[in-house]
Amino acid sequence: MNARWRSPGGTRHLPIVVLVARREIRMRLRSRVFVGGTIVMAVLVVVGIVAASLLAGKTTPARVGFSGGSQALERSFSTTAAALGANVTVSDVADVTAAEAQVTAGTLDVLVTGSETAPTAVVKAAIPPNVESALSLAAEAARLSAAGLSPAAIDSAMALVPVQLLQPPNSKDNENLFASLALGILLWIALGQYGNLVAQGVVEEKATRIMEILLATIQPSRLLAGKVMGIGLVGLLQLTIVGAAALIAVRVTSVAAIPALGVASIVGDIFWFLLGFLFYATAYSAVASLVSRQEEVQSAVAPISILQIAGYLLMYATLPNPSGPLATVCSLLPPFTPILMAVRMASSDVPFWQVGLAVALTVASIVGLTWLAGRIYSNAALHLGARTRFMEAFRG
Amino acid sequence: MSGTDQRQLEIDGVSKRYGQTVAVHDLTFQIRAGELFGFVGRNGAGKTTTMRIVLGVLAPDSGVVRWLGMPLTLETRRRIGYMPEERGLYPKMRVAEQLAYLGELHGMTGTEARQAAFDWLDRFGLADRRDADLQALSLGNQQRVQLAAALVFGPDVLVLDEPFAGLDPVAVDVMAAVLRERAEAGVPVIFSSHELELVERICDRVGIIDHGQMLACGTVAELRVGGRERRWIDMPGAPDPWEPGIPGVQLVQADGARRLFELDPGVDDQALLRAALVTGPVRGFERVEPSLGELFRTVIGEAAA
Repeated sequence: MNARWRSPGGTRHLPIVVLVARREIRMRLRSRVFVGGTIVMAVLVVVGIVAASLLAGKTTPARVGFSGGSQALERSFSTTAAALGANVTVSDVADVTAAEAQVTAGTLDVLVTGSETAPTAVVKAAIPPNVESALSLAAEAARLSAAGLSPAAIDSAMALVPVQLLQPPNSKDNENLFASLALGILLWIALGQYGNLVAQGVVEEKATRIMEILLATIQPSRLLAGKVMGIGLVGLLQLTIVGAAALIAVRVTSVAAIPALGVASIVGDIFWFLLGFLFYATAYSAVASLVSRQEEVQSAVAPISILQIAGYLLMYATLPNPSGPLATVCSLLPPFTPILMAVRMASSDVPFWQVGLAVALTVASIVGLTWLAGRIYSNAALHLGARTRFMEAFRG
Repeated sequence: MSGTDQRQLEIDGVSKRYGQTVAVHDLTFQIRAGELFGFVGRNGAGKTTTMRIVLGVLAPDSGVVRWLGMPLTLETRRRIGYMPEERGLYPKMRVAEQLAYLGELHGMTGTEARQAAFDWLDRFGLADRRDADLQALSLGNQQRVQLAAALVFGPDVLVLDEPFAGLDPVAVDVMAAVLRERAEAGVPVIFSSHELELVERICDRVGIIDHGQMLACGTVAELRVGGRERRWIDMPGAPDPWEPGIPGVQLVQADGARRLFELDPGVDDQALLRAALVTGPVRGFERVEPSLGELFRTVIGEAAA
């Protein structure tokens, strides 16, 4: 009948919440602002990653070329360099003069000449960190071998000094913490964005006066729940698209190691994001229903935004001591639970009961907020013009 | 209440005040199945408040609204078609999609809702605007879509606040025919309007509300009973001015030989005729039924006095 409007049709009676959510999703996926915004975000992220990989080009492996007799050192040099944490690639050099030119041009970092027991390193200006040590150790091993020591004796003679840690770092490694933290902060910012979208959607219904028809048909709490659900899913889709673009860019440019961020921490971050979104979206929609014009939304939602910024600051405050009293207490407060728990769990082992309690409190407060928001929503819905005072809307 | 037919919308003792302002006070009336009920009153008389209470958008301070003898619930309210005074639909949503969405919210399946949306758009001559955003339509066409929104799910009851405001004459006829048709299909229809001639022409019964109270309620003929009657007399021989000298008869208007008199209830019009014959020939003697507009002004005026 009509190609542009494909209704799912069907003969089923869908629940109200699903109908409302479906409309939100459809309208947003169709809007140029959403599609354009997603593309722009994905492009910016990819450009940022590519730029970072270009700037970070200096940290690519040190290219070390071996010529003549020194080529016998290649193997032990690579092993030693790896043990010292130096990132190197080795290659054979046939023409020393040409290789020197490469070093001058910067296409080769180190040229090793000389013999196995007495190598010489040729560099342009400075030798990369640990390459000199690795080369020295490899040459020393070769000299010991030449002096007649057995490989086992050489190994014990060359053994690195064992290091004993008095305060071992957490079981969670730092790279993982950093990545998880970065993702958590990004999601926290995204949460504010989508919360604002919900607020705008609420005011749109008030400003266009369709509210009166809707309230005559469905319960305000269901209308709200559907709206929050729809915008939340759209937000998740947008984040997934941008995230996928970022992952692909990272893999192509190999600027960082992807396994640093485990599946578990991604799932964890998304779980906390959803919980936080439900909490804040409901709060945003409640205050937004107190005003009738889009221009007033920003000032109406200011208290909620401040709460969110407070959560962000608390995260930094509690980061040095994720198991301390401040972190423990604040992470149990529903407005801060999503970000603080995410960070605590990424950086330390949180007792299970605390996680459970925090989730329970947050879920309970979401249910309470939905009820409260529905009440404010229906009472404030027909008040146009002047901003409705909170208590007035609450009493009805 | 007759007790035999429960198919009526009953507004029973409904009151609502905003702070010190009484919006409606102890309002009681019924709209029966198959009936077109015109709800008239000045601005601020309480029409919109009453309709919002029926729809559950506002909660009354006291009183109850019943349908089929039972107080309205959210489920039964979902079967009421409503056109609010403040028009409102999604401006950036396509017309047919929007109507289908509302149909589904009212409990239709997706397929039914889509078909119903198309049918009503055809009926209102908007078949070619199905895929236009609402905001691209003229105001008159948006108004038609708004009415379609109230009708799309085949409501059991229709409550329409000023459905004729802002419509061109052709649209008024279409709208009136649709309302008539719904009423004949057994749906109680209540609508408010300031167009008293239209209300008189199409409504079965009329309620006149002022300051939140129902001053008169019934058929236009019933409202006339007990009201003042008027007579035109064509009396070329009469002096100007001429007073008949009968208690309870006042001259309303003089147009040369034609004079219009208003008679208090119970006054004998034949006495007026005899008095007129004394002045000379009487060429015409005509009974004038007061229009709804005149009844309205009389009722409101009496209430104010």
